[in-house]
Amino acid sequence: MHIGATTDSRSYRRAVAAGRARMASAGRRPWIGAATVLGLAILWYVLTTATGAVSPARFPRPADVWSAALQLTLRGYAGGTLWLQIWYSSRLVLLGFLVAAATGVPLGLLMGMSRRAEALINPAFLLIRPIPPLAWIPLAIVWFGLGDAAKIFVIWFAAFVPALINTYTGVRTLDRTLIAAARVHGASERQILTEVMIPGALPLIFTGLRLSLQASWTTLVAAELVGAFFGLGRVLIIAAQDIYPGMIAFAMALVAILGALMTGCLGLLERWAVPWRRT
Amino acid sequence: MGGAVAADVTAAQGARPARGRRRGAPGVVELGLLSLGGFAAFFGLWFVVARSGVVPARFLPAPGVVAATFFHLTHDPFAGYTLQQHLLSSIGRFLMGFALAAAAGVPLGLLMGWFRWLDDVVSPVFEGFRFIAPIAWVPFAALWFGTGIGGPILIIFSGAFPPCVINAQRGARLIEPHLIEAARSLGAGHCRMFAEVLVPGALPSIVAGLRISAGLAWQSLVGAELIVVSSGVGYLMVQGQSNLATPIVMSGMIAIGIVGFLIDVALRAAEARIRRGWAGA
Amino acid sequence: MSQISFQSVSRVFRRGSEEILAVADVSLEVADREFVAIVGPSGCGKTTLLRMAAGLDFPSSGSVLVGAREVAEPGPDRAVVFQQFALFPWKTVRENIGFGLKCRGVPAAQRNAAVDRYIEMMGLQGHENAYPHQLSGGMQQRVAIARSYALEPEVLLMDEPFGALDAQTRIEMQEELIRLARVNPRTVLFITHAVEEAVYLADRVAVMTRRPGRLAEIIDVAPVRRAEAWEERPIEEVMDLGSFTHLRTRIWKMLRDEREAKAEAPRVTPLQRRKAGP
Repeated sequence: MHIGATTDSRSYRRAVAAGRARMASAGRRPWIGAATVLGLAILWYVLTTATGAVSPARFPRPADVWSAALQLTLRGYAGGTLWLQIWYSSRLVLLGFLVAAATGVPLGLLMGMSRRAEALINPAFLLIRPIPPLAWIPLAIVWFGLGDAAKIFVIWFAAFVPALINTYTGVRTLDRTLIAAARVHGASERQILTEVMIPGALPLIFTGLRLSLQASWTTLVAAELVGAFFGLGRVLIIAAQDIYPGMIAFAMALVAILGALMTGCLGLLERWAVPWRRT
Repeated sequence: MGGAVAADVTAAQGARPARGRRRGAPGVVELGLLSLGGFAAFFGLWFVVARSGVVPARFLPAPGVVAATFFHLTHDPFAGYTLQQHLLSSIGRFLMGFALAAAAGVPLGLLMGWFRWLDDVVSPVFEGFRFIAPIAWVPFAALWFGTGIGGPILIIFSGAFPPCVINAQRGARLIEPHLIEAARSLGAGHCRMFAEVLVPGALPSIVAGLRISAGLAWQSLVGAELIVVSSGVGYLMVQGQSNLATPIVMSGMIAIGIVGFLIDVALRAAEARIRRGWAGA
Repeated sequence: MSQISFQSVSRVFRRGSEEILAVADVSLEVADREFVAIVGPSGCGKTTLLRMAAGLDFPSSGSVLVGAREVAEPGPDRAVVFQQFALFPWKTVRENIGFGLKCRGVPAAQRNAAVDRYIEMMGLQGHENAYPHQLSGGMQQRVAIARSYALEPEVLLMDEPFGALDAQTRIEMQEELIRLARVNPRTVLFITHAVEEAVYLADRVAVMTRRPGRLAEIIDVAPVRRAEAWEERPIEEVMDLGSFTHLRTRIWKMLRDEREAKAEAPRVTPLQRRKAGP
């Protein structure tokens, strides 16, 4: 029949094969990503070390980053060793974040549940919200100096807003039928809060907390860059003043890794607290 | 309701079923009065605390003092320039960094959404870099591009770039598969697919990304100006801070807030317009 | 000569480590200008067959030929009408209908004339500049059908085109499709799970089994339709005819026998009997 005619047509065979191949490649392919990272690492080595196309005064060589890592870990830099700097930064982030979560989430719940509370609180929030958290840094320094209090204050402002907004949205967008169902089954107002509203808003609350944590971290690094005695931001700014690209790169990597670690921990907590979430 | 908080949940409000007011639910008048009370309480508290002397005026000037300083700054130069001139140089940096991020990020995101292999290649690197806080680029920005214009732009770019990429990618990826299949079986080639299906289909997501991106760009700009430049509102604030001139610092904050707010309003309007256009929502 | 030809087509889907046989060894020929409907329970692979003819999916073994050529990619010679309409929400009715012609490079003047013709044919006058979301479901599907017809394709592939419509609109569209098929005959492969719709529309109805989807039987409707001149009569009258109900019942029984033969869990059967009782 027609088979003879079509099997002869090689281009069509090839096109069919290509179509089949396209379908096969639907899944994620992490090895491509690994290859890319490896490729970039080789490129980095070739450009900076093997050929010297990029000056080490502008962009560090792999060896520079390694020696900076050794120096910070063993001898210390910008006033302390690696562990001290990490300890300072993460302690402040966690403190600020906890204060923000402890104030933002309840206030968000309150505003979500009561339109009166929302009407009363919203104006102040409205006035403060457009000001980026980083813009509070100079005021915080005037008020509290260069110590911990100023940083916690600024982190609080940065992390408070996403925690509040997402909690509020979580409560407000909750399916009203669920609340009605709870009422029909005889739940008290208090039970509606603890059994329906909080669990129902939890996925968005966690979204808010994740954004809060990221904002906390960014803000802390900025605050430490502007003025601090210890911390990774301090390491960055001293390395910048010393024109020490290896240390700059190492400190940036630390900022990224710590940020990722914190977000990861929060993700684990979320998985534990919101087992019904589908993602 | 209304206000900044409410604006964030407009989409959700649309989805909420209409229902009658519950017994005991507050009316519009009561809510309006409460809102006014909230405004009054904010400024009243500020005024009372400042005037009572509990906090020294040096640290917390009264609202009137800040307003007067704000007005003064518009014609008496501080830190070299008037407030408008500082703002102008800030906005210029913002626009350049933002435009650069959008011009590079949106096409990259669209291509990543369309070509799977590009996504596989770029994503791991992109994800890694995304965890670097934009402000952490300050040292390299200063080292590579100096502190005049190039350095701040790199910092703004690094803040504004990720949302552009992510939203364009997501927008392209989440287009109804049927639309792409329909276009293919109607005979659309790669170019036409890009121009007539991918871009318009991803547009709402792209614009939403640009709005987020503008917010982050403005934030990063403030951060950059606190550290590396010699003009701009951030610089004005740092100078105010080192002179312990709290009213000047607060005036800077207000100016930054107003401009950030206006940027957000403009992009929200653009977003709403696009959604109204053909999505009917 | 047949327009569409499925030759021992099988399709295996891979979900994780699991391999699912969706279509098993289906051979089916659709003749030129013939209207063939495939009915079967959901998940029987009937849509997969259509997608293979469209070039949106490919057989794991066997081959799919359209016009004596193996299908390698989607193309305007085989227009697809989707259940979800798949209209571009950012294009007006006019732009949607003209899209395929534009892709083909038809100049604007000629394209406009063709678009006008199909707007009139589908009764879309007055909605030319509306966006899809401003139209009802039935109207949207009219636009989608016009968009397919505008390409003047050899083959029309319709994937449950009326599945998303309400019952009333559905009947209107079925009549409309019969009218279209008379003035503008095409080779049509029509997927549906509604038995009545298949019998009313098709020259032949192919009945598929539950997964893995095989062809259970092909029922020839055309002789009856011609003999009783179904096209001349309104739909409600056709659906009352003894020949129609006979064919419909035969297919229903076929689907049910097949389902009961395959029912694995023994306790399902008594429940179904009880429900079927008075």
